[in-house]
Amino acid sequence: MRLTKRDQDTSTAQTGLGLSRRHFLRNTSIATGGVAAASFLAPGMIQQAEASKSAVHSSPVDVKRTICSHCSVGCGVYAEVQNGVWTGQEPAFDHPFNLGGHCAKGAALREHGHGERRLKYPMKLVDGKWQKVTWEQAIDEIGDKMQAIREESGPDSVYWLGSAKFNNEQAYLFRKFAALWGTNNVDHQARICHSTTVAGVANTWGYGAMTNSFNDIHNCKSIILIGANPAEAHPVSLQHIFRAKERNKAHIICVDPRFTRTAAHANEYIRIRPGSDVAFIWGLLWHIFENGWEDKQFIAQRVYGMDKIRTEVANWTPAEVESVTGVPEEQMRQAAKSLADNRPGTVIWCMGGTQHTTGNNNTRAYCILMLALGNMGKAGGGTNIFRGHDNVQGATDLGVLSHTLPGYYGLTDGAWKHWSKVWDLDFEWVKSRFDQSVYRTLKPMNNSGIPVSRWIDGVLENKKNIDQNDNLRAMVYWGHAVNSQTRGVEMKTAMEKLELMVIVDPYPTHAAVMHDKKDGVYLLPATTQFETYGSVTASNRSIQWRDKVIEPLFESKPDHIIMHKFAVKLGFDEQLFKNISISNEEPLIEDITREFNRGMWTVGYTGQSPERIKEHQQNWHTFNETSLKGEGGPADGEYYGMPWPCWGTPEMRHPGTPILYDTSKSVAEGGLPFRARYGVEHEGTNILAEGSFTKGSEIKDGYPEFSAELLKKLGWWSDLTQEEQLAADGKNWKTDMSGGIQRVAIKHGCAPFGNAKARAIVWTFPDQVPLHREPLYSNRRDLVSKYPTFDDAESIYRLPTLYKSIQAKDVSTDFPIILTSGRLVEYEGGGEETRSNPWLAELQQEMFVEVNPSDANTLGFKNGDDVWLIGPEGGRIKIKALITPRVDKGVAFLPFHFGGQFQGKDLTSKYPEGSAPYVTGEAANTAMTYGYDPVTVMQETKVSLCRIEKATA
Amino acid sequence: MANMKFLCDSKRCIECNGCVTACKNENEVEWGVNRRRVVTLNDGEPGETSISVACMHCSDAPCMAVCPTDCFYKTDDGIVLHNKDICIGCGYCLFACPFGAPQFPSSSAFGERGKMDKCTFCAGGPEEDNSPEEYAKYGANRIAEGKLPMCAELCSTKALLAGDANDVSDIFRERVVYRGHNDGAWAMEEELAYDATQPKA
Amino acid sequence: ADKASEAKVSGFAGAEYWRVIKDGNEGTSQVKGIEAGVLINVEGEYWRHLRNKWVSPYGAYALLGVLCTLLIFYLIVGQKKLDHPRTNKKIKRWSQLDRANHWTVAILFITLALTGLSLLYGKFFLKGLLGDSIWGNYIALCKILHNYLGPLFMLALLIMIVRWLKHNFFNATDLRWFIKGGGIFGNAHPSAGFLNGGEKVWFWLLTFGGVTISISGLILDFPLFGQTREIMQWSNIIHAVSSLILIAASFGHIYIGTAGTEGALEGMTTGYVDESWAKQHHDLWYEEKKTKSTNEPM
Ligand SMILES: Nc1nc2c(c(=O)[nH]1)N[C@H]1C(S)=C(S)[C@@H](COP(=O)(O)OP(=O)(O)OC[C@H]3O[C@@H](n4cnc5c(=O)[nH]c(N)nc54)[C@H](O)[C@@H]3O)O[C@H]1N2
Ligand SMILES: Nc1nc2c(c(=O)[nH]1)N[C@H]1C(S)=C(S)[C@@H](COP(=O)(O)OP(=O)(O)OC[C@H]3O[C@@H](n4cnc5c(=O)[nH]c(N)nc54)[C@H](O)[C@@H]3O)O[C@H]1N2
Ligand code: HEM
Ligand code: HEM
Ligand code: SF4
Ligand code: SF4
Ligand code: SF4
Ligand code: SF4
Ligand code: SF4
Ligand SMILES: [Mo]
Repeated sequence: MRLTKRDQDTSTAQTGLGLSRRHFLRNTSIATGGVAAASFLAPGMIQQAEASKSAVHSSPVDVKRTICSHCSVGCGVYAEVQNGVWTGQEPAFDHPFNLGGHCAKGAALREHGHGERRLKYPMKLVDGKWQKVTWEQAIDEIGDKMQAIREESGPDSVYWLGSAKFNNEQAYLFRKFAALWGTNNVDHQARICHSTTVAGVANTWGYGAMTNSFNDIHNCKSIILIGANPAEAHPVSLQHIFRAKERNKAHIICVDPRFTRTAAHANEYIRIRPGSDVAFIWGLLWHIFENGWEDKQFIAQRVYGMDKIRTEVANWTPAEVESVTGVPEEQMRQAAKSLADNRPGTVIWCMGGTQHTTGNNNTRAYCILMLALGNMGKAGGGTNIFRGHDNVQGATDLGVLSHTLPGYYGLTDGAWKHWSKVWDLDFEWVKSRFDQSVYRTLKPMNNSGIPVSRWIDGVLENKKNIDQNDNLRAMVYWGHAVNSQTRGVEMKTAMEKLELMVIVDPYPTHAAVMHDKKDGVYLLPATTQFETYGSVTASNRSIQWRDKVIEPLFESKPDHIIMHKFAVKLGFDEQLFKNISISNEEPLIEDITREFNRGMWTVGYTGQSPERIKEHQQNWHTFNETSLKGEGGPADGEYYGMPWPCWGTPEMRHPGTPILYDTSKSVAEGGLPFRARYGVEHEGTNILAEGSFTKGSEIKDGYPEFSAELLKKLGWWSDLTQEEQLAADGKNWKTDMSGGIQRVAIKHGCAPFGNAKARAIVWTFPDQVPLHREPLYSNRRDLVSKYPTFDDAESIYRLPTLYKSIQAKDVSTDFPIILTSGRLVEYEGGGEETRSNPWLAELQQEMFVEVNPSDANTLGFKNGDDVWLIGPEGGRIKIKALITPRVDKGVAFLPFHFGGQFQGKDLTSKYPEGSAPYVTGEAANTAMTYGYDPVTVMQETKVSLCRIEKATA
Repeated sequence: MANMKFLCDSKRCIECNGCVTACKNENEVEWGVNRRRVVTLNDGEPGETSISVACMHCSDAPCMAVCPTDCFYKTDDGIVLHNKDICIGCGYCLFACPFGAPQFPSSSAFGERGKMDKCTFCAGGPEEDNSPEEYAKYGANRIAEGKLPMCAELCSTKALLAGDANDVSDIFRERVVYRGHNDGAWAMEEELAYDATQPKA
Repeated sequence: ADKASEAKVSGFAGAEYWRVIKDGNEGTSQVKGIEAGVLINVEGEYWRHLRNKWVSPYGAYALLGVLCTLLIFYLIVGQKKLDHPRTNKKIKRWSQLDRANHWTVAILFITLALTGLSLLYGKFFLKGLLGDSIWGNYIALCKILHNYLGPLFMLALLIMIVRWLKHNFFNATDLRWFIKGGGIFGNAHPSAGFLNGGEKVWFWLLTFGGVTISISGLILDFPLFGQTREIMQWSNIIHAVSSLILIAASFGHIYIGTAGTEGALEGMTTGYVDESWAKQHHDLWYEEKKTKSTNEPM
């Protein structure tokens, strides 16, 4: 049961600013009586009013093809537009991912065309009051302030927080923008989402992405979901999971501390203690090794380091596993057996695994399980990592991250030189934009910036301890809610210390209201993705094209136009847009696509030209529902969206790679071995593949990554054209901008990135073998000494980072309940967008905490009572109690989509008029605590401790 | 003529509420009125099962039988529609309806509930097909456009099926064959003989 | 059989679930609203059955039956005339307040009855007669009148009950009056006080029936307190049954007050009755009045 308010009636509260279909029809039925029509439209809407006034009901319907912007499934949508008004939404039955289906959010998309609660024009906080300003004034004032900060403190004192909501072009442009401003203090949601996946998985076999696809799940014989609740977070994926369940009799195991809606549809549900994933996986492997169920040939040919895993796994006897995870031996054995008996099988994981101080250990453990079972590189197998936002995959690939440039090139001088070349800029000029001092051992240009999870420390930490010149003094929240980051109470302090806050978002967001600042805050209305166009990368690595559905509402502007405005003001527009044409302040999207096509060799974003992506967009119906392969039509033989890597140049027409590391296909057809990323040997042992290679490979064994040198050695150099040779000399497959090296490698059946073993151990990480470590806030003090966390670190991503010193304090008597958090199907992320959509908001009207009936009885409150939930770092939130056996005794769960209330205070009145969301509530993260993965600085949002008390007043 | 029916496959329904918002979207139904809702039994416990319900367009419709104003009518497709001009908002249809389908914009003193609103199977009402008046009162008329109900068409997992009873039971029968059992269907039984073990009549 | 009552799930996650649903057990729903979590409204069928199969037809039979009986009675027996010619001496029987109260109640009752009956039976003949659009307006008006006048009726009735209670305690005279069958047939005039046994029965019927109607009516009229459908259904049945009984009884009362008895109506219109009438129908009251009147100015 969920809680609802009785008496909310928004029909009277409507400001009537957007344009609904009813309005539209009302307009059209009074056809020429324009005055009446205008009366319910605010000034900002004149454009739309004009458009609809002249419209008649039967005005022609323009059908646009777009993609849902609420999660990474990437569902296709037909949007019907009449005279500029979004009047209808039709199911895209021919779209290969969703076949017409949508969850609550996708089915409510058209509300984006109303946008009643949007931020309507640029605003600025003056003396605690919101004041309307013009775009010009806003950009001018902000720009001047930024320049002043830059002069005084250097470019690193301005933080550019970007978004997984950007399309690929905007994401790429944003990263480039930050680079030309001269900082690596740029990041986006992936940091607090799948960063530990990307790092863990990429370091295991090459790429940190979903290996197969939603559609390929049709082929699974078993599915283990761990820390994923796709029934709420990726609902349309269940369509594919059910196909496997019904047609293949696939055995579905759901491992989660909560009995989720996904668990309700699994064959087997296993409840684990939050934060015990490594122990659980080792527990499964214990049975697998014990019974010899592992795929020995696969391991011998394609996996390195499994022996070290065996040694660790041997410690995880059934008794120890039960003690740590809570799962009894028989259930573990059964689960292990059914995974072994039903191959190929896949593992699906999500935030339950990633958001921990041990996040990268978890993700590597999941990979190792699949390696042991020999499930990798197969249809129906793989690690199906369901990503988060609609374009978090793309924004990650395009490097809106503080530790890398686009394409995971990193931040070395080599990487900068590569991108400077792509940008057609002088490397020295780019370099000159940065602070040239050395902090600890690195210059800021080559050192990872502060990650989004810790921007508050960038503001609050003593500046002597930060590896940059000064504290953060200005924050730009560009499509990123702040209630998604932990330590809300400290965040408020940090905001109040900032001199400048700029929020670029279609909505004001929690960031506009949670602090008590009186000035120095600007709100700039960005459009949603339905008011612009471009490409977007779904979880399965397919790149899709979105049409523009409607013109920007109110005074909002698409992100790339806003970036242009800032670049002009800050004086580097010429460099930023050197090879990108601008018309009417708008950088041409297709030019941006083509620019990153020229640089993204590492991940194969080079073959998907705008023309090819659009061709796929126009031919949804020609792709196979299971294999995603084009059957006839212009994209015959290509995979839908050319899932990266799509090697070489667009002219090569590589079909894309539907399943990563699948050796049963040739590389030219989308096959791949594991990537050779870590050299050819480790501790004297060969780490290249042995006797395993892709179909048709001329090298019938492992081989290193390709370079001009290797081509010469192999005698394939002459296969390059004259021009290619010129461009490729001295280069490798990642830096040869002609694409010749890739082309020739593939011509010979080889993968440009080499053919190696996957590594079960990662010697560059704190834990070579993934280890179980107790969370920072653990109530199992007996386990803390046995499985302690990491030592405190002087600097990770520029900042001192605490582990043991926090874990050492035993707070478990005062805060006895394990606290975890996650998603509700109706809302997304910080929730500002979805809570402003009445069709969704009506379905979730109260922030709540799930508590087990037994705990509620002990603590003395009933279902629907108001309670205070208090975190060990002092954050307090006042919310409703939802009593349910969904959570175990001693565990509480919070949805994290609420905002607009803070520690018992309702902040609705602080929103600019007419822009408060329909539903507000306490942000879960106000109570969430410290804790960061040492590899990626992922925040620990899936396990903390808390106390819950009945609220008396 | 077709005999339009819904069937919800409870083995597939995941309570994603896509059908609920699809209806809001297509028909611009106001806050507080929900033509469709998803009901979950045993929420949070093993055996949790969800079913999406709206008007089932009953053959011998109870709402029709009790309506004091006799404002209901049945189309040739077996869809139960009503005439809002005559409706007095007495609520009797809701008392009688087995599925709680009829909805009212308000419930205030002196029985002022406003005009009843319920699922139209996306078939509008008595006004001229697809006229602005029809849309304003009843929402979309997809049936007149040769389309099927939006809620079913947008269902995320294809749990919710809508259409002619025979077609719907054919689809479900196919699933039954794969599953090896006929669990999960929720519909008006007499219309949908979906027991795959039995030959279709 | 009602097909909808067979609305069923087949193999829906097993028989156990079907049982749970059939019992009307509540699940949960994100859609808010009273009983949104109830999948099947089990009582709905029962209610429909009661209302449509019992209350509505038998109510109609009862009303028609009473009307026919009265008609036949009238045709056979005719009006009960005054045994003695009028003396033209008027005796005060009902004060102005009494009369105002009576007619308020009466008019409201009749309006409620007509509008209520329209709700129950109107669609069977009026709809066809009036055509959709007039019917729509008519029935909407009925509903509005009924819903707004109902509470007024309740107030007026309450006042009446309080004011007239004192006249309506049964006594030995009434018992004898009943034994003699109220003197309906023949010329016997059983003794009666201010009100006779029959009138007192009407009063009490009205008191209990009226209160029942009022309470059930209020529950139906103010759906603001989260009443479940089950409560509404029962209220409706109780309301309909008690109002039908009262309507039938009111036919008798009205008959007696008008066509049935010569001279009765005057009392309620002018406030005064003829001495002969008083002597004939309420002899004890007449005696009392006479002795009193010697002392009291009239
Ligand atoms: N409706 C909706 N859909 C979304 C989003 C949204 O906000 N709303 N966001 C999108 C984004 S950004 C993302 S990243 C995805 C996330 O999708 P998911 O990760 O599937 O969603 P969550 O609810 O965060 O977490 C999944 C489960 O992890 C469990 N869990 C908690 N602690 C642990 C643990 O220690 N171990 C294990 N094994 N499990 C644990 C929780 O009980 C929860 O059921 O969803 C995407 N889709
Ligand atoms: N406690 C807890 N915290 C969590 C999580 C958790 O499970 N538990 N999950 C974490 C995860 S996985 C994630 S991904 C984050 C998600 O958290 P956020 O990313 O902060 O959440 P969103 O609300 O999706 O933020 C997107 C913002 O972008 C805006 N937006 C939408 N479209 C556009 C556009 O086109 N341009 C611009 N400029 N803005 C746009 C939206 O209005 C919204 O304000 O939260 C993290 N925080
Ligand atoms: C046209 C309709 C009616 C007529 C002509 C009528 C007439 C009368 C008359 C003549 C009397 C006086 C009897 C006497 O003096 O003893 C009377 C009394 C009374 N009437 Fe009516 N009446 C009508 C309708 C109603 C209605 C609808 C009600 C109640 C709902 C009602 C309730 C009473 C009561 C309570 C009394 C007091 C005597 C008693 O208890 O019977 N009357 N009426
Ligand atoms: C306190 C006084 C009363 C109130 C508050 C009241 C209220 C109601 C209400 C709310 C209804 C439901 C109809 C709708 O909402 O459209 C109703 C129906 C009805 N009422 Fe009344 N009423 C009152 C008195 C009466 C009286 C005095 C009578 C008859 C003499 C009466 C006869 C009926 C009838 C016949 C129905 C129709 C029942 C059906 O269709 O099943 N009511 N009433
Ligand atoms: S939110 Fe995700 S699953 Fe739901 S419709 Fe959008 S893309 Fe599809
Ligand atoms: S859209 Fe389909 S799966 Fe989702 S709640 Fe509705 S019926 Fe169930
Ligand atoms: S409203 Fe209820 S009773 Fe009437 S047809 Fe629909 S489901 Fe049947
Ligand atoms: S509310 Fe309207 S449709 Fe329902 S029974 Fe009453 S008059 Fe008929
Ligand atoms: S058929 Fe149409 S009106 Fe009925 S619930 Fe579905 S979308 Fe709503
Ligand atoms: Mo995420």
